[in-house]
Amino acid sequence: MNKLKFIALALASVCTLSLSAQVTYKASYFGVKSDGSTLNTRSIQKAIDHISEQGGGTLEFYVGRYLTGTLNLKSNVTIQLHEGAVLVGVTFPYDYTAAGDTKAIICAEGQENIAVIGKGVIQGQGTLLLGNVQTQINKGNLKESVAQASPALISLKNCSNVKIEGINLQNPCGNVMVYSDCKDVTLSNLAVTSRQTANSQGVIFSGCTGFSMTDCYFDTTGDALASAGTSTNVNISGCKTPNGKQLKAKK
Amino acid sequence: MNKRNLAALLLGLLCLTQVSAKDYNASLFGIKSNGTTLNTTAIQKAIDYISEKGGGTLQFYVGRYLTGTLFLKPNVTINLNEGAVLVGSTNPYDYNLETPYCALIYAKEVDNIAITGKGVIDGQGRALAYNMMDQIHQGILDDDLKYDRPSRRRPRGIYLRECDNVKIQGILIKNTCDWVQTYDQCSNIVLDGITVDSKAYWNNDGLDIVDCKDMKVLNSFIDATDDAICLKSHDANSRCENIEIRNCVARSSASGIKFGTVSAGGYKNIRIINNKVYDTYRSAITIATPDGGQVEDILVDSLYAYNTGNAIYLRIGKRWMGEGRSVGTLKNVTIQNMYCEIPATKPDAGYDYEGPIEDLPRNISPASIVGLEGHDIENVTLRNIELVYPGGGNPNYAYCGLKPADLDAIPEQADRYPEFSQFKELPAWGLYVRHAKNLTLENITFKALARDYRPAMVLQQVDGALLEDITYIEPGGGKKQLHTYKTTGLVQKK
Amino acid sequence: MKASMTKLLSLAVALLATFQLSAKDYDVQDFGAVADGIALNTNTIQYAIDFIHENGGGRLVFHAGSYVTGSIYLKSNVTIHLERGATLLGSTNPLDYTYEKICAWHSLIFAIKQENIGITGQGVINGRGFITANNRLNLIHRGYNPGNDLITLDRPREWNRPQNIYFRECKNITIKDITLRDPASWNQTYDQCQNLYVDNIYVDSKSYWNNDGIDIVDCKDVVIKNSFFDAADDVLCLKSHSFEHMCENVLIDNCVGRSSANGLKFGTVSRGGFKNITVTNMTIYDTYRSAITFAAVDGAHIENILVDGVRSINTGNVIYLRIGNRWSRGKEPVMKDITIKNVYAEVPFHKADAGYNYEGPIEDLPRNISPASIVGLPEYKIENVTLENVEIVYPGAGNPYYAKVGLTPEELDGIPEQPDRYPEFSQFKELPAWGMYIRHANGIHFKNVTFKALASDYRPAIVLDDVNGGTFEGMQYIEPNSEGKNQLFDYKSQNIEIK
Repeated sequence: MNKLKFIALALASVCTLSLSAQVTYKASYFGVKSDGSTLNTRSIQKAIDHISEQGGGTLEFYVGRYLTGTLNLKSNVTIQLHEGAVLVGVTFPYDYTAAGDTKAIICAEGQENIAVIGKGVIQGQGTLLLGNVQTQINKGNLKESVAQASPALISLKNCSNVKIEGINLQNPCGNVMVYSDCKDVTLSNLAVTSRQTANSQGVIFSGCTGFSMTDCYFDTTGDALASAGTSTNVNISGCKTPNGKQLKAKK
Repeated sequence: MNKRNLAALLLGLLCLTQVSAKDYNASLFGIKSNGTTLNTTAIQKAIDYISEKGGGTLQFYVGRYLTGTLFLKPNVTINLNEGAVLVGSTNPYDYNLETPYCALIYAKEVDNIAITGKGVIDGQGRALAYNMMDQIHQGILDDDLKYDRPSRRRPRGIYLRECDNVKIQGILIKNTCDWVQTYDQCSNIVLDGITVDSKAYWNNDGLDIVDCKDMKVLNSFIDATDDAICLKSHDANSRCENIEIRNCVARSSASGIKFGTVSAGGYKNIRIINNKVYDTYRSAITIATPDGGQVEDILVDSLYAYNTGNAIYLRIGKRWMGEGRSVGTLKNVTIQNMYCEIPATKPDAGYDYEGPIEDLPRNISPASIVGLEGHDIENVTLRNIELVYPGGGNPNYAYCGLKPADLDAIPEQADRYPEFSQFKELPAWGLYVRHAKNLTLENITFKALARDYRPAMVLQQVDGALLEDITYIEPGGGKKQLHTYKTTGLVQKK
Repeated sequence: MKASMTKLLSLAVALLATFQLSAKDYDVQDFGAVADGIALNTNTIQYAIDFIHENGGGRLVFHAGSYVTGSIYLKSNVTIHLERGATLLGSTNPLDYTYEKICAWHSLIFAIKQENIGITGQGVINGRGFITANNRLNLIHRGYNPGNDLITLDRPREWNRPQNIYFRECKNITIKDITLRDPASWNQTYDQCQNLYVDNIYVDSKSYWNNDGIDIVDCKDVVIKNSFFDAADDVLCLKSHSFEHMCENVLIDNCVGRSSANGLKFGTVSRGGFKNITVTNMTIYDTYRSAITFAAVDGAHIENILVDGVRSINTGNVIYLRIGNRWSRGKEPVMKDITIKNVYAEVPFHKADAGYNYEGPIEDLPRNISPASIVGLPEYKIENVTLENVEIVYPGAGNPYYAKVGLTPEELDGIPEQPDRYPEFSQFKELPAWGMYIRHANGIHFKNVTFKALASDYRPAIVLDDVNGGTFEGMQYIEPNSEGKNQLFDYKSQNIEIK
């Protein structure tokens, strides 16, 4: 009886989860603007919070330019960037916060079942942002190193069941993607271009359990792939750089 | 014949303006210039009154005149004197939303109308669109929010349908909510010296000429988020005919000068002379007939394009054909005296409504002339043209080689929206031609600033091509720059 | 009373001295803030404030330009200095504002438990509240309603709309020279603060409902002077939200106000109380309700109040003192030792604030022009009120066929007590006097008081009901065609002395 009940409950909760994951929200519902000049950080963040609180779902961005600072992705939320949708990083250094040690446009710490998918773009405006970062450091207002203060595009720490799929990642101020202490990360079909700032690395991962990257292209000024610390169950295949070199996980 | 027609038309217009000589000041009708009083009914009364009295000019002097939809009436000229701004209401319900192609200024079957002067029409389109968005999300306005934007009934700036003798002169039109100005099945139209600055929202076409006859667009500057100067054909039984576009400058986050996308009837005798295109996301000139339209006798002469994503795109497609209709034709097109620079970076970067970044990867695309199997593009002549490309096509990023298998694998995409980028990677860096007949290339220079893995030109399934005086410039050199495949009747001179 | 005034003045001097210390200036543009009226600078400004706070304090200077921002938090030893031409422009996105739990409110500039802070300079804070409020309404209507707002009266509730300034539990505050305009809610609130110094500010606060001029809530040691207020709601508004706190030692000097509610108001929320308040040289004009309203409806103790020097021109009512019993939770209200002197006032026949966008609400009629009123409750009397050198000009013309409350015991006793009603001079509808109506009071002292009616009125100038102890010295009643009319009518009153 109890067992049956438990199974029924488990089934029900599975159903609920899969159901709620289907819920989609258009960005405009939360007043998010695609005009390239409205800073949408708070509206998008409220949208993510709301969707997560409602049990999860997909926040959909359609064609347009969505200016934003750091967004903290929450459990069971998928960001879908449809073709032509661009998340544009704002050029003010103080609009960014970090997950772990790395600032980024998309941050998450301790979240699960999160994803960024679609044919759209995350764009870092690296040159402009770096200029502002350096100005702030030179004036003594920002007491961080350039590296610390340069946001990546994606920085995830201690997250599990992460999917980054299909999107184009362009011109961060710092490195492109950083994953630390994550579990079950899947990256696929990403086109990565980072040529605006020096030594911008493509993907840095450390302490991950289950890290898969397939069919990605990296055109970066720094190493396309840098792994630090120990990660286990790493699978990298079909990923290459402009000179045609296939990326391999370093042992 | 045409020339004579136009001369007659001009004479006719001159006479007309003299008939409707009487001036009426806006204040006579209680119209307020404070920018906050909604004047819709007062301005409409003025237009109706002037028309009933036999015509005349409604004079707006410096000030801001807030209004919703105005319906033009016969023999009425709206003259916006310097400093006068006709300001579109930001309340969607101030517009004729239930009429197809609702607009701030609307007329259907009205003759002898004009909007003139050095004043401004400001659609306040972004605020208006945001207000529509609120009404849609609140369930009051019905709309499916395609692409997460109000997709129907966004008011245009000017929409004139089946009007004869139209003059639009001198004014600045800015920031409409949808297309800026549409002339649909109108005749005897002159647009002269107007400025369009419309980057307020999506689909801000600069100028839409739909199935019009005997039209001149002269000395105008058009900067728009969507196609800048756009000829369309909505009606299968109608077409654009005898149209001249001369001395204009265009900037667009889509195409500079475009035929289509909707092209049901077709285009005949269109002359596009001495125009400039800059900072434009897509093609300097796009001629597309995806919906069965017949395109013929097109002259593009002296087109200068800087910082433009693509130079030339000619395309036959098979999209909205309807029953019993056949695929369109595209023939007798001459493009001459053209110079175009294509950048490595996004040409419209930094504009609020940049053209959409499409799914990548794709190296810089060539100019393209692409018909369909069994529907060749015929008699295209390109003459005295220089195209400057960034080059740098990297096969590890995206690749389309020259092997038969590669070339045959390029999809036909008959029913896709026609864009120069639609095939993604193409096998040439300068010009790609497929399904064409009687192609003439004369004195053409292709220049790549960096080495590209592709040849400059690929002719694929071309029937008859005369190539004369073709120059290829690419760092490194020593490369076969012309590749032909399934091509017959190729004649190369010099 | 005299003692408290000297105390206040010395306090003012002390305050002036306090605020010389923030020496170092920082340019907000050095932190990357952009003054283009478009870029949202919230995080940049906040970073700059935190930086100054952590580095010994100073002024964050805004040069001319428009700086858009959402909610920011001022920190100890930081002064925001807006130069002439600089505007702090509130974001129009309601989601750019923070709901601060301690205040239970939204605001553009918050300060919570900070010391030595200020906002100075000849620049502007513009909340753009009309747009923000309407944008909030739109989000609510589409179903995104994070505050579960019931949109009572078809507008977002006050706390779900940002005001310009909300400081709570702060010490040593200077607000000087700035212009405050267009909040979405109240305008500026100082709540349980101490040592507040407001000097030479200009307030234009009538862009949306509930736009107050200034709200002083349970503050101690406050000076407000040389300032101008134009507000849709109450202008100079002292409140007491807390049973444990009160407004104490407040000096208001040389201020001008216009309101579609009240000029000087104590309340409406009035739990703790108001003590040692001095108001001098005040001008109130084009104001819908009373130039002066003191309300103790939630248990407040109001005592030792001096109002000296009032010009009240085109104001719907002049004086309204009221004890009620609304949200008192058993606390016994007190109102005593009130002196109002050197007053000249004109009450119009028409609506005093007609033509303003957010005009005060037209209430249910009929009602002839209402008198000034002092109205306690049978169990809680208003005590020891002095009016000296007062002249009030009324339109008169009270017409008994339009509305009538006569002088019979039935009619006078029929006036409802309304202990739990919202306190407004108009709450009783028709009253039986045209100049002054006093009920449930002990110790009323009028000296050199003139009531003038421009047209004859069916009512007497003064009605006393349940007044114990009153002296009326040097009274003048001017009313056309009123020869032989008894202008002072007393009912159930005793110890009334007319000199």
